[in-house]
Amino acid sequence: MNLEEKVLEIMREVFDLEDITIDVSQKNCAKWDSLHHLTLSSELEDAFDLDLEPEEIAEMTDFSRVIAMLKSKL
Amino acid sequence: MKTFVFRNQTVEPFLGSDGMTYSGYDDISHVPEDVDRYIWFYQVPVNADSIQLSEEVASFIDKLDLVLNRVDVTKPFIIFSLENLFQLRLTGNETAVAESVTAFNRHAMQLSIERNNVKWVDFGEFTSRYDASTLMNWKYYLMSQMMLNPKLADDFQRWFQRLDEEMALKRKKCLVLDLDNTLWGGVLGEDGIDGIKLGGDYPGKAYSYWQQSLLQLSRNGVILTVCSKNNEADVVEAWEKNPHMVLKREHFSALRINWRDKATNLRELADELNIGLDSMVFLDDNPTERELVKQMLPEVTVPDFPDKPYQLMVFFKQLVERYFRIYRVTEEDRAKTQQYHANAMRKAEMGRFADMESYLYSLDLQLEIIPADEHNLPRIAQMTQKTNQFNLTTQRYSEADVKQRLDNGWHIYGMSVSDRFGDNGITGTIFLEPVDETTVNIDTLLLSCRILGKGIEDAFVKTVLNVLRLDGYRHVTAAYLPTAKNGQTADFYDRMGMACSATEADGTKRYDLALDHVYEIQNYYNIKVL
Repeated sequence: MNLEEKVLEIMREVFDLEDITIDVSQKNCAKWDSLHHLTLSSELEDAFDLDLEPEEIAEMTDFSRVIAMLKSKL
Repeated sequence: MKTFVFRNQTVEPFLGSDGMTYSGYDDISHVPEDVDRYIWFYQVPVNADSIQLSEEVASFIDKLDLVLNRVDVTKPFIIFSLENLFQLRLTGNETAVAESVTAFNRHAMQLSIERNNVKWVDFGEFTSRYDASTLMNWKYYLMSQMMLNPKLADDFQRWFQRLDEEMALKRKKCLVLDLDNTLWGGVLGEDGIDGIKLGGDYPGKAYSYWQQSLLQLSRNGVILTVCSKNNEADVVEAWEKNPHMVLKREHFSALRINWRDKATNLRELADELNIGLDSMVFLDDNPTERELVKQMLPEVTVPDFPDKPYQLMVFFKQLVERYFRIYRVTEEDRAKTQQYHANAMRKAEMGRFADMESYLYSLDLQLEIIPADEHNLPRIAQMTQKTNQFNLTTQRYSEADVKQRLDNGWHIYGMSVSDRFGDNGITGTIFLEPVDETTVNIDTLLLSCRILGKGIEDAFVKTVLNVLRLDGYRHVTAAYLPTAKNGQTADFYDRMGMACSATEADGTKRYDLALDHVYEIQNYYNIKVL
């Protein structure tokens, strides 16, 4: 499974939504609130075995930024 | 099942969203009635000033009482014990916070004895599994007010679910005990009175502890009975003659020592004691006997019995927690607890309050309304970016945006809130756009959710309106723009007494207000306009 697919899968689980696509962002997804954002960050940290700084977590406001952030850390 | 959670920290990842609704942070003003049960899940806040912190923790006792007096006494109310997740002791003998924590926990435990609907949950049972650095993750705490590490969410849910099931179970009344290899090691018929393993070294010692524990259980009201395949005369002799025997004839309410099948014996025991089969727990080291009882009498609880004698004490603890946790207390216990209770209340050193007003008085709330300037501008802009819930119009502004509006003659204020437990800093803002000489429009009004529940929003807006009137304004326009997250403010202006002049298709509500009188503000807010 590639990085994008894995992230989508984690997002589907965290947001408890089936129809998550690469267009997803904090703006267009009501479930992606601050609390789910933290849960998402914590799940990503576990899944990819890395530590995200608060500033980095704050930057991950949509799918492509999440992917870019993970790529820069992996 | 619908559950309402009182909390002073972020607990959503742990208790979940299924049927759960949450209070604001440390917000006891709203006690919904249309729920099936309540959970009280506070934790010790972070504050390096231990005296201030101990007072704040002690005040949870009064808050809890205030809430309990407002809920339906037939609805379950679950109280989590307080655990200090981040203990900071500047001196070795610093105990103020620990004393308040203990006082709260004693009080909660006392409530669970006095009130049938109150259940006390020992949160320490969960936290003691982890070391301090695992329990609390400062990164997540500072980003989200989550005391407990979100990575423990799955563990927590499993733990709480099990506990929840246990609390729903009916307490058992009677323990039915086999004898050979259950109450002592070995077989009485083969090893003889002095050959059975009881007392002395291991494994006899394990059975001694086990019998002592069972004796305590019986002293606390659990009925002990025997159901064993043995010669009754041999057993009676062992009770009389084995010097290590702790549990003797007089500790058992009924006996079935014979060679018949155990299902029949259990039925007879239930009849003799006049209790239901569903209030019996059957202990036997022999899996065949256990299976027979499970098959024949599914109402009887049949736990697995430990293979090794050294597992007996852990097994006893599980038995108590699952089936026999004792809520019934003696008069002596009651007196003792009441004494603890009185001490705790004195320690709290708090003015008692019976209603919301005196509670608000006791907080010593200080509101400062501060014009936007270069120092607080970043904070004000940041709040417009981040605040979702108590935000009437959800306009997002950068620092430059705010600066530009100030230059255009807007009145922009921040509000800073403090109470006797500390200073929350700037946690609210209002943007006022002059429309003409006498009219001003509320472009933005927002408050951070951690200060809600104390009526501060009302006091803030009323103060601002009074200031506007003194400045010569006579009309105010305002709007509520709905988003997915700001539903709680939909009626805010209506509650303030403003007339809704138009409701649009998307739910937007527009308001018009004549500034023709002075708004009265409750005097438990000390308000300073700078």
